[in-house]
Amino acid sequence: MSGFRVRALCAVIAVAGGLVLSLRGQTVVESSFAILQNVGLTAIDEGVIRDESHTPASEQMVRKRALLAALSTDRVSASGARYRSDRLIVKFRDEAAMGDRKAALRAASSTGEFGTRASYADFDIVRLDASEDPEMVAQALQGRPEVQYAQAAYRVHATLIPNDPEYATLQWNLPLVNLEKAWDIQPLAGSTITVAVIDTGMAYQNATITATIPSFRDGAGIRYPALGKVTIPYSGAPQLVGAGNAGRIVAPYDVISAGVNPPLDFEGHGTHVSGTIGQLTNDAIGTAGVAFNVKLMPVKVLASTWDVLFGGASSEGGSDDDVARGIRYAADNGAKILNMSLGSSGPPNCGTNPNQVDCAPVIEAAMRYAVGKGCFIVVSAGNEFEDTVPPYGTNPTSVLAEIASRISGVVSVAAVDRAKAHAYYSSAGPYVELSAPGGSERGFGRDGFVWQQTFDYNFTDTFLLPPAQYRAPRFDVLATIGYIGTSMAAPHVSGIAAMLMQQGITDPAAIEDILEKTAVDLGTPGRDNTFGFGLVDARAALRGLGLAK
Amino acid sequence: MKTTVLLVIGLVLAAPVLAQDPPPLSIRPFAMATGQSFAATQTFNATFGKTFFPFFGGGVQVVVHDTFFVEISASRFRQTGQRAYLNLGKVFQLGIPLTATVTPVEVTGGYRFRFKKFPAVRPYVAAGFGSYGYTETSSFAEPGDDVSTRHAGFVVNGGAEFRVHRWVGIAGDVQYSHVSGILGTAGVSQQAGESDLGGIAARVKVVVGR
Repeated sequence: MSGFRVRALCAVIAVAGGLVLSLRGQTVVESSFAILQNVGLTAIDEGVIRDESHTPASEQMVRKRALLAALSTDRVSASGARYRSDRLIVKFRDEAAMGDRKAALRAASSTGEFGTRASYADFDIVRLDASEDPEMVAQALQGRPEVQYAQAAYRVHATLIPNDPEYATLQWNLPLVNLEKAWDIQPLAGSTITVAVIDTGMAYQNATITATIPSFRDGAGIRYPALGKVTIPYSGAPQLVGAGNAGRIVAPYDVISAGVNPPLDFEGHGTHVSGTIGQLTNDAIGTAGVAFNVKLMPVKVLASTWDVLFGGASSEGGSDDDVARGIRYAADNGAKILNMSLGSSGPPNCGTNPNQVDCAPVIEAAMRYAVGKGCFIVVSAGNEFEDTVPPYGTNPTSVLAEIASRISGVVSVAAVDRAKAHAYYSSAGPYVELSAPGGSERGFGRDGFVWQQTFDYNFTDTFLLPPAQYRAPRFDVLATIGYIGTSMAAPHVSGIAAMLMQQGITDPAAIEDILEKTAVDLGTPGRDNTFGFGLVDARAALRGLGLAK
Repeated sequence: MKTTVLLVIGLVLAAPVLAQDPPPLSIRPFAMATGQSFAATQTFNATFGKTFFPFFGGGVQVVVHDTFFVEISASRFRQTGQRAYLNLGKVFQLGIPLTATVTPVEVTGGYRFRFKKFPAVRPYVAAGFGSYGYTETSSFAEPGDDVSTRHAGFVVNGGAEFRVHRWVGIAGDVQYSHVSGILGTAGVSQQAGESDLGGIAARVKVVVGR
């Protein structure tokens, strides 16, 4: 029996033992599934995995997307955007009386009912019957004088393209943004700053999960059997919270369950992004992070396939209201940098006409609120440069990045490859403000990926296996995995921004100005639609300016 | 020591200034202390927290027939502050030490007025040009990061010299200088839109000679 299997067997036995003990002594969080926090073993760290493939066109990714579509209850707009079928986001004007609000809603919808206002929301969620189209109701409400904005709850998604790893050339990305010299300037690397990772959650603690997993059919109609009640081990990422660093986690919050569940990552994206921001460094293990001493705030707004199968979410991804609440939560709970490696496609002119399909005024309002509280926000620019999204065509506008470009203190970040060239997938447009390493396999193979520790998909994405091999996942096996995407570019900027804030630059608009002024100009001289102001330069930003130079 | 004693004795025994005929050509060394308020106020405030600084130096005046004069002077200013950012009027100092040194070498020509009622007071005006050396060094610099340059500028000044002794005068004047080409193309000065390394200075000179 290999060492790994022995460790795995020990882990299962220990988790089971711990579960028995904990069931006697702890309160199980009431939810659609149960998470026993801090009950579980330390993760198994496999190191670098060289043979894992999740390219965008790979069989795994195609099947995963099909499975998501099969599990989803979302509606799809004429533009192709997915939005939640059971709700609508409405922001009434402050002066509108409750009676007028109800009258406006009755005029626009026959089934709409106000829900209890969710935490960290300055807007209302209107519950709708499945027979009504939220987009149509939103359009009816938009013309009313009582309404500031109304929109469907469009889905946002993580902007990652996971891919194969290669150990020999790990982390070309950090020298590319001049980080080694930046660490000389600021060896504290952001120790007093909290970075909120608004994402799929984070592997920030050990836990034991009990869930009843029902049967389902994938995108091809193939039935997967129910797994019944299973016990699933979950471990915090050693390179985020290991070696006594659990204290760096600040105010974790799961927006999807309104704080009922801990924001554990069942997908891997948020953990990978967090690693780029603040992976433990100088510990002779694994990879490094940009601002390796920052405090991390996991804010879960994107659900994964397992969230859906566990019964904790209705569909994968998040919706605009979830993201808006996540932004407000982070701003209200001490985060100073907000990383948003997520996005959605929409029209290019939401700034002048926010009452259009696919625009997200609720997120814009939340961003402005957060910036007003001193938060600097980083948004990935999108991965759709080569994609065609009807009716917006190829390289559609990334809605969140476009909002970012209109708010001083919020930046949108495109991706470059290891040769500082445009990464083939990185969305381009007038909204692109900065560039950072996002990686690319084209021309570089595995050498071109951005590497960080996250879950080994072989143990988590078991729903991609044939039904006969389908089994419960386990989230205690982590490895150094290569991803590409603007999701990977954004956290570079978030980490550098955290170091800038630690350096004393507390104004979000000033941070944006500095990052843009010190960026290394790429492409067409001056700002351009591909690279924005250029490749972020950590040393130049942190070193500041003299009188004459 | 012997020379100093003889010089002091000579000064003490010298006839009163009014009793002297001015020589046709007088070469007069001087020492100078200057307080300058830099024109680039935002730039200097961002880096040093203030805009008024002392210079120290000296020079030589050549006076012809007690009226026309040519003066060459050199002085030096050196100050350590912090690298900084300026954004919409807000200053963010980064805690990274920066030392700036300004070394003006100025040549001026001017005219000394004479008042019959106050022969010991000699007002003067002058104008000229200068060569201004500027160095900027700071921590974490790499080759090419620090600045060492010299650019030309112009000066005008006016003041008065008070003859306190046959061989010693004290002069006070106000000088305006304008120095372009050093500030304004990069750094905080570019953010501030300031390109003049000159400013308004109050100078005090101790002049030795007739």
